Amino acid sequence: MHIVCCIKQVPDTTQVKIDPVTNTLIRAGVASITNPYDLVGVEAAIKLKEKYGGKVSVITMGIPAAKVQLRECLSLGATQAVLISDRFLAGADTLATSLTLSSAILKLHADDPVQIVICGKQAIDGDTAQVGPGIATRLGFTQLTYVSEIISLDKEKGLITVRREIEGGSQVVEAKLPVLLTVELELGAPRYASLPGLVRAIREKIETWTAKEIETPPEIVGLKGSPTSVRTIFAPPPRKGGPVFESSSGLEKAVDSLLNELFEKESLLVQEIIKVDGKVEHAKEQ
Amino acid sequence: MPKNSKGREVAEIIRKKCSGCHACIGECPVDAIDIVDSVVFIEPEKCIGCGKCVPVCPTDSILFNKPLKKVSEAVPTKSTSGISEYKGVAVYIEARGNVAADVSWELVGKARELAAKLDTQVYGFVLGQNVANIAHEAVYYGCDKVYLMESPLLQTYFSRVYGKALTQLTNEVKPGIMLVGATSLGRDLASVVATHLKTGLTADCTGLDIDPNEKLLLMTRPTFGGNIMATILCRNHRPQMSTVRPKVMRMPSRDLTRKGEIIEVKFNGKVEEVPRIIETITLDPSSIIDITHSPVLVVIGKGACDSRDFSMFEELAGLLNGTIACSRPLVEAGILPYARQVGQTGKTVAPKLYIGIGVSGAVQHLVGMQSSEKVIAINADRNAAMVKVADYSLVGEYQKVVPELIRGLKARTANFQFQGAK
Amino acid sequence: MNEAFEVIVVGGGPAGISAACVLADAGIKTVVIERGESPGAKNTSGGVLYGYNLAQILPDYIKRGCPVERNIVESRIWYLSKTAGYSIGYRDSIFAAERKHNVFTVGRARFDRWFATQAKQKGCLIIPGTTVIDLLRDADGKVSGVATNRQDGEIRAKVVLLADGINSALAAKTGFRKDVHPEHVALAVKETIELDPQIIEQRFAVSSEDGVTTEVLGEMSGGMDGVAIIYTNKSSISIAVGANLAQFAKTKIKPYELLEAYKQHPMVSPLIAGGKPIEYTAHWLSEGGYDTIPQLVGDGYLITGDSAMLFNALHREGHNLAMASGKMAAEAIQEAVKAGDFTRNGLSSYVRKMQESFVMKDMKKYRRFGSFLFGTPQVFNELPQVAQFAAREMLTVDGVHKKQKQKLIMAEIRRKVGLLNIARIALRGFRAVR
Repeated sequence: MHIVCCIKQVPDTTQVKIDPVTNTLIRAGVASITNPYDLVGVEAAIKLKEKYGGKVSVITMGIPAAKVQLRECLSLGATQAVLISDRFLAGADTLATSLTLSSAILKLHADDPVQIVICGKQAIDGDTAQVGPGIATRLGFTQLTYVSEIISLDKEKGLITVRREIEGGSQVVEAKLPVLLTVELELGAPRYASLPGLVRAIREKIETWTAKEIETPPEIVGLKGSPTSVRTIFAPPPRKGGPVFESSSGLEKAVDSLLNELFEKESLLVQEIIKVDGKVEHAKEQ
Repeated sequence: MPKNSKGREVAEIIRKKCSGCHACIGECPVDAIDIVDSVVFIEPEKCIGCGKCVPVCPTDSILFNKPLKKVSEAVPTKSTSGISEYKGVAVYIEARGNVAADVSWELVGKARELAAKLDTQVYGFVLGQNVANIAHEAVYYGCDKVYLMESPLLQTYFSRVYGKALTQLTNEVKPGIMLVGATSLGRDLASVVATHLKTGLTADCTGLDIDPNEKLLLMTRPTFGGNIMATILCRNHRPQMSTVRPKVMRMPSRDLTRKGEIIEVKFNGKVEEVPRIIETITLDPSSIIDITHSPVLVVIGKGACDSRDFSMFEELAGLLNGTIACSRPLVEAGILPYARQVGQTGKTVAPKLYIGIGVSGAVQHLVGMQSSEKVIAINADRNAAMVKVADYSLVGEYQKVVPELIRGLKARTANFQFQGAK
Repeated sequence: MNEAFEVIVVGGGPAGISAACVLADAGIKTVVIERGESPGAKNTSGGVLYGYNLAQILPDYIKRGCPVERNIVESRIWYLSKTAGYSIGYRDSIFAAERKHNVFTVGRARFDRWFATQAKQKGCLIIPGTTVIDLLRDADGKVSGVATNRQDGEIRAKVVLLADGINSALAAKTGFRKDVHPEHVALAVKETIELDPQIIEQRFAVSSEDGVTTEVLGEMSGGMDGVAIIYTNKSSISIAVGANLAQFAKTKIKPYELLEAYKQHPMVSPLIAGGKPIEYTAHWLSEGGYDTIPQLVGDGYLITGDSAMLFNALHREGHNLAMASGKMAAEAIQEAVKAGDFTRNGLSSYVRKMQESFVMKDMKKYRRFGSFLFGTPQVFNELPQVAQFAAREMLTVDGVHKKQKQKLIMAEIRRKVGLLNIARIALRGFRAVR
């Protein structure tokens, strides 16, 4: 059983501060972490490895500093880690990223056939949830998104059964390997690495592959291979406070003035809110 | 401009502005750019001052005053000549049984606006089995042409089969723009199709518009916890694909007199092995709490942290068809579950109306709600941060204010309905 | 875990890493256990380092890319009342040339990371994100390793070097360091204020590499026994104010308010105007001086740096004492390895080296200084007020002749402090630092 986990280095959003003047995020000085969804995926992969044998390879596309995140995965018990790093890969959008990662998985696959690929549901900095399905499509693997539980794995028959979260509920599906899973946090928090695991991760050499090594020409990866480009980045204008009604000068009057303003100045909004209930529509039909 | 020890003028990053997007790293011919603590760092000793990193920076964060040499445009990977063949604005209409997801109609409404600016048509893509009635509905909501692909293979949604079907349809119809609702199904499907088509896909857009000069789709989305907005283009690939979350766009009116063409398309897919669905659990919709989808939120803060007052809050929320949410202290106190928490460590919300009761307005909370359309603060403290950002504030004890507000609202909604009836 | 080491260093700060570098150079198998996610991650101090001490450990520290913020060319001392102050400074071009890097500022987060990397390159194993929770002892009671908070988390070694800072729970576990008393600890609050390098250079009149340190005494510590500082970094200014923890508790002054008031002081506010606070931190400094230093060695262990309460309160020297003690501890361990004796006796050369070095000599010299300040609240209250009155009177030109002014000043001194008291304070102060 060969499981590949794709991880991403993301800024720790809980540390991000906001510039009170420009209302933009200050990213400077914010530490990087492993995308929490991805780490849950790595934990799931290691549990599968412990139960069914085999190996877990962790890959990431990123800058050399992303080795820290790969080491974290090794400390949990991943078998090997590969960094895909090349300046030609920088500035990739989701299409170029899924191409790069799937090329790397194919290289791993050539050495030892891959049965399961696990990605986080989405990255907390981009929230796109596109890379996982993109990789599955390129590899031709069956994709099972929003997996909240791995119920069973039948190695002999090559079948995996998982629970997926879907709109308004969940479903239990059985699929034939090879599969790509994108996982929810419900799958289970990563373990706290043991001391020998941590020491091994610190000492392990992490392989680095360039674009050439995964056989992706520079024109189709990174910024050049990305159909989308950012035109502008801007901060939404900071909110400005509006009128303040003091109940100390008469509660009833204050509430009344507020509602007056609302129903006059925000009549469209008020209509819409009440329309959601269908009250206005019903009224019209009457 | 700073100089390095060799006396060469070098580029320098403005750390405050850098968004950490990595775009410049690939441009640097000498690998002088790295990421340090989430923002870019340009190693002055390595930098040769060529300025290639400057034009790609979307936030103008690179300090560089030398005149730039002309930088050639990135080579498009796909020939741009075929782009003109792609016309029209398509919407994937998500079928759930034999009804469509509301978000699909919201997108048809948006597609009409975009089509008007491009002087083109709106297409509806309906896929499934026994979904012809949805195709008719699509016309009523604003589609000029509806492409209907029915097949027993499309009875149940499977990513791979649906991906192939929608890819086939897109290749045949060649729309310039394709919009998909960002439901879990829509997000799953759109990524598959974009990968097949090798085109760009921008997720969870909150704003869609047409550039008046270039006629390109401008896709605006919040990134990074909703605090920064990015406008994204897909210049050389078609269709320009975007997903949009439910309730972001306005629901258009359903007009039974509208006329449109319904075109049936045969699915070329073959029978293939699909996952087996063993069990499906459908939760009672009322039991699912998703504060990110509710158009009205009544948000309880530390200043109103008494569970005995909750019936009052629920009544207010009920009157406005709202949902109860909260700030972090209430979750920590175990009064409300994590799913209800607004803020940096909770959910980012953008309701049409946000009513904060006893919410002080810590930065971490404000980040999670500042995209709300209108904000009302009910707070005992005139100087609370929340009062400073709210569109309307009521200063007073919430125990007194909220019942009065309920009374006032009741009186007015009755009145309002009466006027509507006239 | 199974693997054993010769030395376990607990704590990846200046003391621990100094020791680790020296041990690794001697080919001794060493592991450093640091509780922060990376060395420096838990460190809040931005401060001054002394090139001499660093060169003792890494002679080529500049070549190795030591992250120097600014080379200090001028030292200022201020004595402040609430609204005014005296300033003296000494600037010397020698500190920008031959004696460059005599003193320089560093950001501890960056410095510690860099310093740890040097130890790593020398062959040390550095384990971050791991907390040592207890000392392991063999049948004879000799320390034989540590237990950490991780699964399978015990490590054995011949000797354990404690360099885990002032909050060291382990030093207390050795049984030879008493609980830290509030009187022996200062609480310092620090803010880092971001400013354009050019603005800093203008305001302090220095070139792009150089900087200024300012040590401040007087009323800005809210009448408590305390000091304040202003350090220039590359693109920020560190300002801090600290006072005795026991007095914070007694006066109920909030540290943050103290810092805010300090920032508003007319001598301080123009220096930081327009800057943006980017970090607010609080930390402890050991102030007990010589008399609170615990027993430095025992069977199988040594204590260094802040864990040993090594801090020179008058000269704000902590980092260099930490580094020097780390180095001496490492040298003592080398001797113990040669002799194969890791008992208290085998490690005792550490104590001897310390006694002979500037570390203990300075600690001894100033042993009464802490109690002098603690017992002389006038230094932080009446004296700066009188000093302000005197200067203000003498410098105000208003037709009153100077002799008359002197009379007024003397009257004020008599009223507020008393001449005899001034003499007494001066004598005690002199004795404390003699």
